[in-house]
Amino acid sequence: MRRRLVFGVVMLLIWFGCGPAAAAPAVEVSVKPAQAAAVLGDRLTISTRITNPRNVVTGPLLAHLNIASLQEGVYVDPEDWSSERSQYLSIQPGSEQTLSWEIQAVSAGRFAVYVVVLSSGTTAAGADGPAVSPMVKLDVAPRATLTAGGALPVVLVVPILLGAIALALRVRIRSKARRRT
Amino acid sequence: MTQTEMAISTRGEHDRDDGDAGAEWLVVAGQECRDLWTSGRGLVLLICFSVLLSAITYLTSTNQALNFLEQREAVNLVLQYAVAVGSLLTLVVAADGISGERERSTLESLLVTPVSRRAIIAGKLAAGLSLWLGAFVVSVPYVWVLERGLGIFGRALTIGLLIGTLVAFGLGSIGLLISAASTSNKTSLAASVFLLLVLFAPTQLPSGLPQGWFFDVLELGNPVASGLRYISGGLVAAHSWDRDLSFLVSPLVVALVAGTALFWLSPRLVRLTPAGRPA
Repeated sequence: MRRRLVFGVVMLLIWFGCGPAAAAPAVEVSVKPAQAAAVLGDRLTISTRITNPRNVVTGPLLAHLNIASLQEGVYVDPEDWSSERSQYLSIQPGSEQTLSWEIQAVSAGRFAVYVVVLSSGTTAAGADGPAVSPMVKLDVAPRATLTAGGALPVVLVVPILLGAIALALRVRIRSKARRRT
Repeated sequence: MTQTEMAISTRGEHDRDDGDAGAEWLVVAGQECRDLWTSGRGLVLLICFSVLLSAITYLTSTNQALNFLEQREAVNLVLQYAVAVGSLLTLVVAADGISGERERSTLESLLVTPVSRRAIIAGKLAAGLSLWLGAFVVSVPYVWVLERGLGIFGRALTIGLLIGTLVAFGLGSIGLLISAASTSNKTSLAASVFLLLVLFAPTQLPSGLPQGWFFDVLELGNPVASGLRYISGGLVAAHSWDRDLSFLVSPLVVALVAGTALFWLSPRLVRLTPAGRPA
């Protein structure tokens, strides 16, 4: 009876241990820098190192960059931040690969930038869990950009000034012509 | 042979051994610039140009969709418009250079003046380029107001002046070649504007469109698109001056080839009738 109980417990442990939810990521992902500060409009580069600790080749992988706002009410469209957010790769056993991501801070606030690595290609299955990098905490300070009030004097003055010069020139030419006649 | 044709023939001889061409082209350029600017034609074009830049600057500074991007993008946008429209103005003035004189029957009197045909061509090209320089000067306050606080004012103006002059020189030379070969001013202007539209079309393609080697070749071979791309690289991405040099190849080649062809062929181009057609 006791043997049966032990056997049952072991089988349960094996069952839950091998279940889909426990599929360990095949790669390890680290990110640099851990945190960054920028001013609205700045461009910065984030570097991720993806390591394959296993003794088999990873197969096709997809590394995907994501950006999330840590502040309620701040909208994030990752496509505005980076036009190239997906990179495909495959890593040999025991090797590593470094990927660079160029992003542009297009909103002010506090953000989390992270990279997920997924199996890709035809062999990818739902059981393959994504490997997620630690997040880069990004603080973006606002910048007083363009204002209509600031641009208005130039917007109005330049055409008016040119018009006045053209008018003065025309008047001068006409008066010269009158003097001749 | 008419009297004018005889005069032209004499000028043809003069072209072969002109030693004072340096001063001659300045005289022609001065006269052409006076015609362009004191007639009001140049100023009217610049007023229209400034209204366009004012509209873009105002929209850029008020529109949230543009404003939220970046100040550098705004400076780049205005500078690109300045270079593109400034080149268009040069092309339009150049396209009127010879065919327009023919239609107004003023070419005859120009041909009998004691200046070489190369000097006439150089003077007309200089007058066309003066319009580009005027457009550049007009764009300076707009660049200044959009750039405030960024510290790229000098860089923006230097890149804009260099690329704009290169593109305007190439397009102006092509405009004069078209003008010399056209039977009427209408044909010359239509052909020049069509050429400019063809050159600008690739710059208007949506950025989300898949871009392969064909697009790269199209862009690298197009002097206007390449020039504008170089400006973007230098201003928005803050690339060093030598990073995108490949984008300067086609503007340089067009300027060199068209400029050389123009000056080489100028004795045959400045005629009362287009080359190869009966008088």
